[in-house]
Amino acid sequence: MIEMKDVHKAFGANKVLLGVDFELKDATVHALMGENGAGKSTLMKILSGVHTYDQGSIIRDGTEVKYSNLKDAEKAGIVFIHQELNIWPELTVLENLFIGNEHTKFGLLDNKLMRRKAEAVFERLKFNINLNRRAGDCSVGQQQMIEIAKALMMDTKVLIMDEPTAALTDREIDVLFDIIRSLKESGVSIVYISHRMEEISKISDEITVLRDGRSVLYSRTEETNYNEIVRAMVGRDLDDQFPERSHDLSDDVVLTVRQLENKAHPVRDINFDLHRGEILGFAGLMGAGRTEVMRTLFGVDPGAKEIEVEGKRVKIDKPSDAIGHGFGFITENRKSEGLILDFSLVDNMTMPSMQSFSKGGFMKQKDEDDFSDLMIKRMNIKSEKQSIVGALSGGNQQKVVIGKWIGSQPKILILDEPTRGIDVGAKREIYHLINELTERGVSILLISSEMPEVIGLSDQVAVMQEGRLRGILDKSRINQENIMTLATGGQLDE
Amino acid sequence: MNSKLTLNTMIDRFLPIVGLTLLVVVITIMNQQFLSPDNLLNLLRQVSINGLIAFGMTFVILTGGIDLSVGSILAFSSAMTALIITSGVDPIFAMLLGSVVGLVAGAVNGLLVTAGGMAPFIATLATMTIYRGATLVVTDGNPITGLGDSLLFQLFGKGYFFGIPVPAVTMLITFVILYIILNKTVFGRETYAIGGNETAAALSGIKVNRRKIMIYALSGLMSAIAGIILASRLDSAQPTAGETYELDAIAAVVLGGTSLMGGKGRIVGTLIGVLIIGVLNNGLNLVGVSSFYQQIIKGLVIVVAVLIDRKNK
Amino acid sequence: MKRILVLLSLFVFTAGCSLEPPAWSQSGGAGDDDNVVIGVSISTLNNPFFVTLKDGIEATAEEKGYEVKVVDAQDDSAKQVNDIADLMQQGIDYLVVNPTDSAAISSSVESANGSDIPVITLDRSVESGEVAAFIASDNVAGGEMGAAFIVDQLGEGAKVAELEGVPGASATRERGEGFTNVAKESLDVVTSQTANFNRSEGLNVTQNILQANPDIEAIFSHNDEMALGAVEAAPDDVLVVGFDGSEDALNSIENGALDATVAQQPDLMGETAIDAVEKLENGEDVEDEIKVELMLETQE
Repeated sequence: MIEMKDVHKAFGANKVLLGVDFELKDATVHALMGENGAGKSTLMKILSGVHTYDQGSIIRDGTEVKYSNLKDAEKAGIVFIHQELNIWPELTVLENLFIGNEHTKFGLLDNKLMRRKAEAVFERLKFNINLNRRAGDCSVGQQQMIEIAKALMMDTKVLIMDEPTAALTDREIDVLFDIIRSLKESGVSIVYISHRMEEISKISDEITVLRDGRSVLYSRTEETNYNEIVRAMVGRDLDDQFPERSHDLSDDVVLTVRQLENKAHPVRDINFDLHRGEILGFAGLMGAGRTEVMRTLFGVDPGAKEIEVEGKRVKIDKPSDAIGHGFGFITENRKSEGLILDFSLVDNMTMPSMQSFSKGGFMKQKDEDDFSDLMIKRMNIKSEKQSIVGALSGGNQQKVVIGKWIGSQPKILILDEPTRGIDVGAKREIYHLINELTERGVSILLISSEMPEVIGLSDQVAVMQEGRLRGILDKSRINQENIMTLATGGQLDE
Repeated sequence: MNSKLTLNTMIDRFLPIVGLTLLVVVITIMNQQFLSPDNLLNLLRQVSINGLIAFGMTFVILTGGIDLSVGSILAFSSAMTALIITSGVDPIFAMLLGSVVGLVAGAVNGLLVTAGGMAPFIATLATMTIYRGATLVVTDGNPITGLGDSLLFQLFGKGYFFGIPVPAVTMLITFVILYIILNKTVFGRETYAIGGNETAAALSGIKVNRRKIMIYALSGLMSAIAGIILASRLDSAQPTAGETYELDAIAAVVLGGTSLMGGKGRIVGTLIGVLIIGVLNNGLNLVGVSSFYQQIIKGLVIVVAVLIDRKNK
Repeated sequence: MKRILVLLSLFVFTAGCSLEPPAWSQSGGAGDDDNVVIGVSISTLNNPFFVTLKDGIEATAEEKGYEVKVVDAQDDSAKQVNDIADLMQQGIDYLVVNPTDSAAISSSVESANGSDIPVITLDRSVESGEVAAFIASDNVAGGEMGAAFIVDQLGEGAKVAELEGVPGASATRERGEGFTNVAKESLDVVTSQTANFNRSEGLNVTQNILQANPDIEAIFSHNDEMALGAVEAAPDDVLVVGFDGSEDALNSIENGALDATVAQQPDLMGETAIDAVEKLENGEDVEDEIKVELMLETQE
């Protein structure tokens, strides 16, 4: 059993932890929750020896301990699997497992011994994987297993997992949970950091919630509920997550897509209509081809398609064509595709609409400033317009991405996982923003892997499976059951 | 660019100018002649060639690319200009045609990088030898002389404008124009955006390929102007002119604090970097350092500058 | 109004332009103390020939108590022009230049003329500008020296082939002239062909010559490179004479392959340059063109 008592930590003037109590019992799964910036990562970095603490104590089985670096903590059996996995994509699975801890015989690598050990670990995990495969060719789920296997080989007592399911498919999540349960049975304690409420209730035994650097809730999972946890996280009651909206479709069709086909990814025969002010949700399992549809539509990926915008045939070969016809695209990966991290907030926000913020090729800096001031205020972005966006929190970054597309005054806005990795408060703000856009006549194509989000926001839901559109559900038929049936290749009874 | 001045970016910005000042002080202590007006004009004239090339290079490096062919483009356009002049065409017209040659040679680099999908290092390494070879072919390996006495052509490399060497005036005017383009126009913003995150730039509707071709063409044009100045100054077009000039230009850009990864950097920094290299060349000569040691010192200055820069980050 | 403005700006523009440096900037070229300072600009110090030349200058100048400032143009004409401008900033009294290119250096020589700094050029001349002295090897005498060596070794009337340099180059002209001066009287020149100062061409041309004229007894080459090519092609009993005294040639002579080379004397060239400076300093006349002696290097 590990007790962290009254832990304080500050980085310069920035006080991150202001007295956190955290108690991890042996052989339990302990969920650690809180909004972004609440101090979860810092607390776990202290436990795993990355950071030191300023004040407080860590007591393990009755004696005070202090881990001054990562190796110390690892020796004591504490391993942290970060959200960004530590994988060398060019090396094989086996090489990844033993990197930095290679077994040698007479100075040469002892592959036989390493292979035996690796096989034993994967057997314990009941997981089949080809040890000679390039790690980069493995799915994210498999890569996560490699990390877990690596941890198990070190005689791990405490395993810290940060958002382990963020990039996993439902099936992979089930496998992961089986493994977590079997680890627990063998005496390992697990700290599970996640935003996903359903997972927490499914897997955890205990919950600690942090808010603004303090621990505000500690409870057994079965003794608390969703509302109590959310209240603890945001410090107030949330009214309904999703905004009220009328789901009546306008007769005005803004976009028709016919025979859309993506050459690289097997996506074909996609047909749908989008009405003015409509939110059309796209649901489906990971890899069903939803993102590829949008990339083809926006002219990023090559492919064939017949598109009409407001009744007129248009040709879209590249993103600038799409933008010219009133499209906007908020991509799934805001860091790699949505933002220029070294740019200031203003410079990012005006990127897709430089034509309207310039005259004769010269930027009108005053207009840019006015616009970003307006957006910062409207969207409640907690930053200044001159700040570098790379330094902002995920939620604020996402708001910048949305702001940049609002500036281009789109008629059709594509949103691909708009709330991924964002805390509850910011999510709700983004939902309201989306709703407001539709009230002003913007039509939205929404991809989301969070079922409640798709169901809560959409006026209609298009369900994809293996590159094909399996059906479009109208509001009366949108429910989890129908979506899952279509997404897994089943038929709805009419 | 709109970005907040934090302490780090302040240090970033002022590091090159502090380095330059330090250098000037040390050299002046060793030889007072350094600060004489005559020598300062001399210095300005000397840095103008590298300056022009380095300004073009700044744009290329800001997009995350590199242009190794600048020295060869310089020689090629200088040879073409000289050939056109000796064939009897009006020198002003010949200078324009020579500039177009550089522009086209640069655009070819841009096409190889964009449409050809080649890494800029490889593409311009190849064109570096191609353009050098072409220069040797058109000149038959000999300097081209007899460039006539057209006043305007003579002025371009050797003249003075209100007492300031014309090449220096050309460099400063070009600097102002490029500064405005880079900091005040859509073109400049897009240049930074491409280097900062090419995917995000493309998804935001920036025509990345078209911009890159224009930027490589700009670099070619700058080299061509430098080549014409050199031809005027040397009264001849030398087939081996501009060899290894790409290194001085890249060094100036890096000394000015521009990141070779692209997206970050300032053309003012490049101007300072150009001056640092110029002051080193001129000052070490004045102080009487042997040319062998000069090369070592130049290399060390680059190493130290980049190390301080890294430390700061 | 507009027209007047245009005219006015045109006037200002033309008034501002000049090919002369502004008067206020001139710092009075020549040094003003008693000490004689000589600026030396060498085309490249990557070549042993020019390094020896520089050493010759430095050694002689030290003897005579002159101060020398050496800059290395690294075979870049633009750098040489800059280097010379830098030298003039330091207040030199004399400029000794070994030009990278005779056209490119003209503007530098002219500006030295403008500052009343006497210019001495080494090994290569300049196209325009005033030069106090041009110092180079006496190529004509060298050609004669080579021919005389062949006569000395093989006797009068020996059958000889001549490998010529790049047609029209001054070295080709002068060396050929010297060779012919002697050869037309006392040797039988069977053929003269160019191999462009190039080693592999020297090899090919020599092979062709020997195919056509197997009775050739000697080959005179306008430089060492072509001679070293000829050595590869010719049988051992054919006498091969090169020109320049390059390191490769001297090694080849030591190994018994090449028979002789008419060696240039860069150290002597350097010495001659400083001698000329001394004469100018003493107010004596200097010849416009000073020929430096060559020396025959043979296997003995």
